[in-house]
Amino acid sequence: MSYYISGCMTGKNDQTLVAIEDSIMQKGRPVTAGSKILSGFTSPLDATVISRLEAGGYAVSGKTKMREFGLLPLCEEACEASGAVRAVADGAVSFALCNDFSGVTRREAAENGICYIHPTYGCVSRYGLIPSACSMDQIGIVCRDIVEGFGLLSVIAGNDEKDGAMYPDKSYVYEPLDKKIKAFVPENVLTAAIPEDKAAVLALSSHFDGVSTELAYFDVLNKAQYILSCAEISANLSRYDGVKFGFRADRYNNLDGLYVNTRTQGFGLDAKLALIMGSMVLSKEYYTPCYEKALKLRRVIKDSLDFKSYDVILLPLRITGGAYESSAVHALAALAGLPCVSFSYNGGGVQILAAPKNENALLTVVKAVTR
Amino acid sequence: MSYEVVIGLEVHVELSTQSKLFCGCSAMFGADPNENVCPACSGMPGMPAVTNKKAVELGIAAGLLTNSEITRVMTFDKKNYFYPDLPTGYQITQLFAPICKNGWIDIETGSGVRRITLKQIHIEEDAGKLVHDNRCDASLIDFNRTSVPLIEIVSNPDLRTSEEVVAYLSKLRLLLSFAGISDCKMQEGSMRCDVNISVRRSGSGKLGTRTEIKNLNSFKAIARAIEYESERHIEALETGCETIIQETRRFDDGKGETFSMRGKEDATDYRYFPNPELMPVCISDEWIEAVRATLPETAQDKFTRLTKELNLPEYDAKIITGSRNLSVIFDETMQRFHNPKEIANWIIVELLSIAKGDNKGEDDIVIDEKKFATLMKLCENKTINRNVAKKILIKVFEEGVDPERYVEEHKLGMVTDTAFLENIVRDVLLENEKSVLEYKNGNQKVIGFFVGKIMNKSQGKADPKIVNELLRKLLDD
Repeated sequence: MSYYISGCMTGKNDQTLVAIEDSIMQKGRPVTAGSKILSGFTSPLDATVISRLEAGGYAVSGKTKMREFGLLPLCEEACEASGAVRAVADGAVSFALCNDFSGVTRREAAENGICYIHPTYGCVSRYGLIPSACSMDQIGIVCRDIVEGFGLLSVIAGNDEKDGAMYPDKSYVYEPLDKKIKAFVPENVLTAAIPEDKAAVLALSSHFDGVSTELAYFDVLNKAQYILSCAEISANLSRYDGVKFGFRADRYNNLDGLYVNTRTQGFGLDAKLALIMGSMVLSKEYYTPCYEKALKLRRVIKDSLDFKSYDVILLPLRITGGAYESSAVHALAALAGLPCVSFSYNGGGVQILAAPKNENALLTVVKAVTR
Repeated sequence: MSYEVVIGLEVHVELSTQSKLFCGCSAMFGADPNENVCPACSGMPGMPAVTNKKAVELGIAAGLLTNSEITRVMTFDKKNYFYPDLPTGYQITQLFAPICKNGWIDIETGSGVRRITLKQIHIEEDAGKLVHDNRCDASLIDFNRTSVPLIEIVSNPDLRTSEEVVAYLSKLRLLLSFAGISDCKMQEGSMRCDVNISVRRSGSGKLGTRTEIKNLNSFKAIARAIEYESERHIEALETGCETIIQETRRFDDGKGETFSMRGKEDATDYRYFPNPELMPVCISDEWIEAVRATLPETAQDKFTRLTKELNLPEYDAKIITGSRNLSVIFDETMQRFHNPKEIANWIIVELLSIAKGDNKGEDDIVIDEKKFATLMKLCENKTINRNVAKKILIKVFEEGVDPERYVEEHKLGMVTDTAFLENIVRDVLLENEKSVLEYKNGNQKVIGFFVGKIMNKSQGKADPKIVNELLRKLLDD
């Protein structure tokens, strides 16, 4: 099975199978987050989502392949979609869990005719998730049906005292809202969208009363996300130094050599680019003009969203340009910690975003358009 | 030409929490290597940090005791650098919003009381420990100390002499140890100090070039390092032979000199940034007041209580309240034996000298207060005499013997049988006729000699009061 790194069927015949991305830790099993640097590392514990899945009667089918630390493919072109997406698209499993801080999985899901649910930041425990960018890392659900996906989300979501950055709610109930949904369809984002996605968003928006102004800071969303995520990744990846676990270079002459050789051989190009970028934006010289500016930008972007005037934001999944430019359309959910669902609609890809913890608005939209 | 030495201190103090700052591992000192270690504090991925509330409370307490402003929205930051004793590759510390700012404490030296101001106090996690094993030529890492909570107390450059520095450190140690914030033991590394020092011409408003001294393991070493380093600075200013550069220096205790470790140009860029995985900690008025309400008696309060309520002489009270450990021993013993002056005497005269003989400082004395109190009771109710009690105290201190049982087993009870003692006294007088003659000729001092002999014959158990009475009676007959 080409989407799996390793199979680890744990369930009985009548249990629903859930594939997990190789960034989610399962006790006693190897976990690599798609990186050579973690080769040989065995997880000492079960991620909270694993224990909750099992307690909820689901079974883990295996660990799916992923891009190294889920990074944006800037240097290394991805030739196929992530294992999580393909496993669900091929019908091998009903669901897959993965961390989609970069937004690539959201796009791939729709491109493969399936769906992705990105929950509100801080609703699903990240205990046992290999961190990439802490302020954006969030375990989400690849699924064929969004309503079923929310069923699984209610099993894994809810406060976990082992994750210090969560909402206090113990559990969540996902059900459609009894109200007329107002949708914000940003003109400037539509203009940049590829034609199929633009048509899809317009077709979707025809079901709702709309607000159509511009999305503020759209031109810098990807920059802010890239700067902040690289900074966080550069710190989170420091632990992979060849000293304690995972990959260690064969040859080195001293401590610096151990670090340099291990990390040179252990990380792929996209990880190295993120490390260099992250270290640079945090350096004395660039902290204020880059990192701090991106932090401030994140704040004003959050503040610019007016969820009193609308319930959801409708966005395309693809805009013209390379991987970096197109990430602008995915950056909003990550930067503002918003819940989001993505799926294909009328031959294009769409994503719907709502205010934090307002997953029910997303469910309402989905139920309305797929009735 | 006269010079002024300008000193600022960075004092690291390990907080007395049960568990580490961001995981549930024990923070106790003295465990076997890597015993108090979990995936989180050994740097494995996937373990989000969760702030230890108790550490924040001890930070608030430290702020209250040092008259500091307590930050209402406190955040943690990441400080990035590679070293094997830092398993995650970053230290979680506070740069942008430390828990306390702008505090002060008053210190007392021979030249009076002076106020030393504090820049800030921040909470951070400790690093692990590297041990080089020469047998296998390998460096071994012990992660027990990794992520143990620390506070760093940063003073302004207000200090001027090594005497002031020692007074400042002693005051901090007293404040923090009495409040249970830290045990402040330099030899165990739970209190560490880096010294920033510069020298300028008296009257000059401009600060000289500063050096930072590390590797200081005792108050004595700190004072010596300051003496050495200030002289080095002054000599450089006077002779011009050497130029002082901004650098970090290591103090070599054996040589009594400082050596360059690294210069300013080698300074690492630590790439500090706000820790995105930890939510800001909001510190409310209610929380601060709740911490204030739980603050125990300070050394100063206790001194007042001992002198005013228990009528101890100031000399005794000062010694007992000069060490958190001694004052705990005093209080615990008081619970069982209500004679403050007697306890103070036993602590100051006997216990301290026994500990000194055992190479232990006043903070390292461990004694079972229940047995200590029993011993004093046995003495008070004349079951044993004072000399025997002193000997038993050594046994209690060294072996933890039970005084009552020990007295019984070794038949050390005081001999008060007058007829029996009179026989011994008569024997001693007969055996030492020469000394008896001396006494008759007016030499009172020989009494001591007789008492010694009698005590010997009674294996030290004779009641000294009866022995004295008998001696006088028989000699003066």
